[in-house]
Amino acid sequence: MTVDSNLDPRLSVDFCGLNFATPLVLLSGCVGFGEEYTRIHGFSNRQAGAVCLKGTTLSPRLGNAPHRICETPGGMINAIGLQNPGVDRVIRDILPTLDFSETRFIANVSGSSIEEYYEVTRRFDDSPIDAIEINISCPNVKEGGVAFGNDVRMSAQVVAACRRATRKPLITKLSPNQTDIAANARACLEAGADAFAAINTLMGMAIDIEQRMPVIGNNQGGLSGPAIKPIALLKVHQIYQVCRDHGIPIIGQGGIASAVDALEFLIAGASAVGIGTALFYDPLILTQINQGILDYLDRHDLANVAQITGSLCLHGPSLPACGCESA
Amino acid sequence: MSAGVEDAMNAMNHGSYRDTLFVEETEVLSHEAFPGDQYLLRLWSPECARRARPGQFVHITCDPALPLRRPLSLMRANPRESWIEILYKAVGEGTRLLARRKPGDRISSIGPIGQPFQVHPERPRPLLIGGGVGMPPMVFLADRLRQTPGMPSGMPSGAAPGSAPGEVLGTVPGSAPGAAPSTAPGTAPGRVTAWSPLVILGSEVPFPFRAQPSQFIVPGLPPAVIAAMPLLDDWGIPSRLASLQGYPGCFQGYVTDLARSWLQTLDAAALAEVEVFACGPHPMLAAVAALARDFDLPCQVSLEEFMACGVGGCAGCVVEVKTPEGPAMKRVCVDGPVFDARMVF
Ligand SMILES: Cc1cc2nc3c(=O)[nH]c(=O)nc-3n(C[C@H](O)[C@H](O)[C@H](O)COP(=O)(O)O)c2cc1C
Ligand code: FES
Repeated sequence: MTVDSNLDPRLSVDFCGLNFATPLVLLSGCVGFGEEYTRIHGFSNRQAGAVCLKGTTLSPRLGNAPHRICETPGGMINAIGLQNPGVDRVIRDILPTLDFSETRFIANVSGSSIEEYYEVTRRFDDSPIDAIEINISCPNVKEGGVAFGNDVRMSAQVVAACRRATRKPLITKLSPNQTDIAANARACLEAGADAFAAINTLMGMAIDIEQRMPVIGNNQGGLSGPAIKPIALLKVHQIYQVCRDHGIPIIGQGGIASAVDALEFLIAGASAVGIGTALFYDPLILTQINQGILDYLDRHDLANVAQITGSLCLHGPSLPACGCESA
Repeated sequence: MSAGVEDAMNAMNHGSYRDTLFVEETEVLSHEAFPGDQYLLRLWSPECARRARPGQFVHITCDPALPLRRPLSLMRANPRESWIEILYKAVGEGTRLLARRKPGDRISSIGPIGQPFQVHPERPRPLLIGGGVGMPPMVFLADRLRQTPGMPSGMPSGAAPGSAPGEVLGTVPGSAPGAAPSTAPGTAPGRVTAWSPLVILGSEVPFPFRAQPSQFIVPGLPPAVIAAMPLLDDWGIPSRLASLQGYPGCFQGYVTDLARSWLQTLDAAALAEVEVFACGPHPMLAAVAALARDFDLPCQVSLEEFMACGVGGCAGCVVEVKTPEGPAMKRVCVDGPVFDARMVF
């Protein structure tokens, strides 16, 4: 299905053969299953190039015990625990209610075994969903998630299994909780990933000193928001070194809260940029960021967003592809 | 999203709040401090004021330096004058920064959010119990009850026999015929108000208003317990205050003890007309839910939880509830904040 957008065509980007009306992507776990924000007056999914649905597993999950979120300096910690009704109900009850003329909808797949990742992906393959994002970076579940994502071999195995299950664009969402994200990206690329999303949240903790207990029911959680932006930028830059020559796009994310932030990620090598936590503070932020990107295009006399991607000019010799010596 | 999809998201069969939400750049009209770090904030917020209902809240930016908004219950909404009023206690960083905001300052607000309280004409004797920061929604509910003239069926079955329509407002549930159904000051003559609410408020810090002796006699309550909230008295709604701090005229004990002593004086017919509404700290709500169960009364409670989005997007604010299908996680922001007490406790 085509998206009928009223946005300036200079904002549109090609993402794995899908046309995104703007590089802005609403991030998984922040917008439910795509419709919650649409009842805010002035908000429209059409302001986003794509919307990632909440992480979905094979069976329904209740998620973690409260408290699930808490504010921290420059961000927040969450440990939702992948609360979702299970892939079959998402496909049967939720997808039919989404308006695919508004934007692209991306499924976000999680599992506690390679078989589960395969099976959920396979079921989404047989649905109207536009693309599939494999979340091997969720820090808030006991099995799978980040446990897979921090292990290069396991990451590649998950990607290879999902690749067998679908021909739709396959996005691998990488964890920042590992030493060599570029090596992981390389392995996932070889296993069949069409694109990357980075970064997912960083593992963190908040403590209530009166109770001497973690604030979060799950004890630990994932840190998001402006606090993680510098880390995210470097990771995107490192992944881009791996992807550049393969034409593999990245959805850069982590703390983006303004057009300037979004532009930094594009310059670092992202083809699209994700907005999550910032939406909680300003639900109407998409309009403002889209406008800021357009202003930048004007100011720098650029024809489209793709011209910004990877336009970073480094000081001196370029950084190694990852933080380690082996690269 | 359809109700069916909501169910799917929550594996529940209970609706969630689906009306349009407004992001407004509100202006601080007044901001008053009370002892115990309590503040009364009035915001110019026309869209929210027009739509807000008791039990709902707004999600506001306390300070641009903070990454998240804060949910705060509404205490009043005046659609004609386009303002909303919030009573809050400065307990954390957000509310402490909010306390610094001055008249003329701008505050972004999303609202009105959440499932409101549901009143039922067949239960015309609402018992409203508010504790601490749980007082505001009870005041809002009382305000709307007084403004709801009559019911389709006319007089409530629980009206004191022989009382004229105009007197029903002041009639307290359980009052003997002719005992003291005083007509409320400011009530338009002949106006039928079907509801006969009783409000019980509790606080362990000084009440954020000057308590005064109530003009209403409430049979069944200890005669020495006479302190009331003036605003409610002005509205013609009987109220009583409870505290462990020994404030004059207040009941020395828990709100639930005072409520129990009153419920015990009601006969079966009167009890059948009572519905309980409560907001306050979790232990208080648990006690209210137990009280309601003892008297076999329907009970709605308004809950609080940390919130990120405040609009149903993140599932960060859940409470575990019981459903026929087993336990489920419901979002306090849009599936609540008001829940049937039996689902929660
Ligand atoms: C409340 C919350 C829930 C999240 N749930 C998911 C999820 O289900 N799947 C996933 O891949 N990422 C999830 N994330 C991570 C975000 O999609 C995003 O990658 C991360 O928050 C960084 O972006 P931000 O700083 O803009 O929020 C979640 C983040 C938050 C804050
Ligand atoms: S705060 Fe309730 S769902 Fe996000």
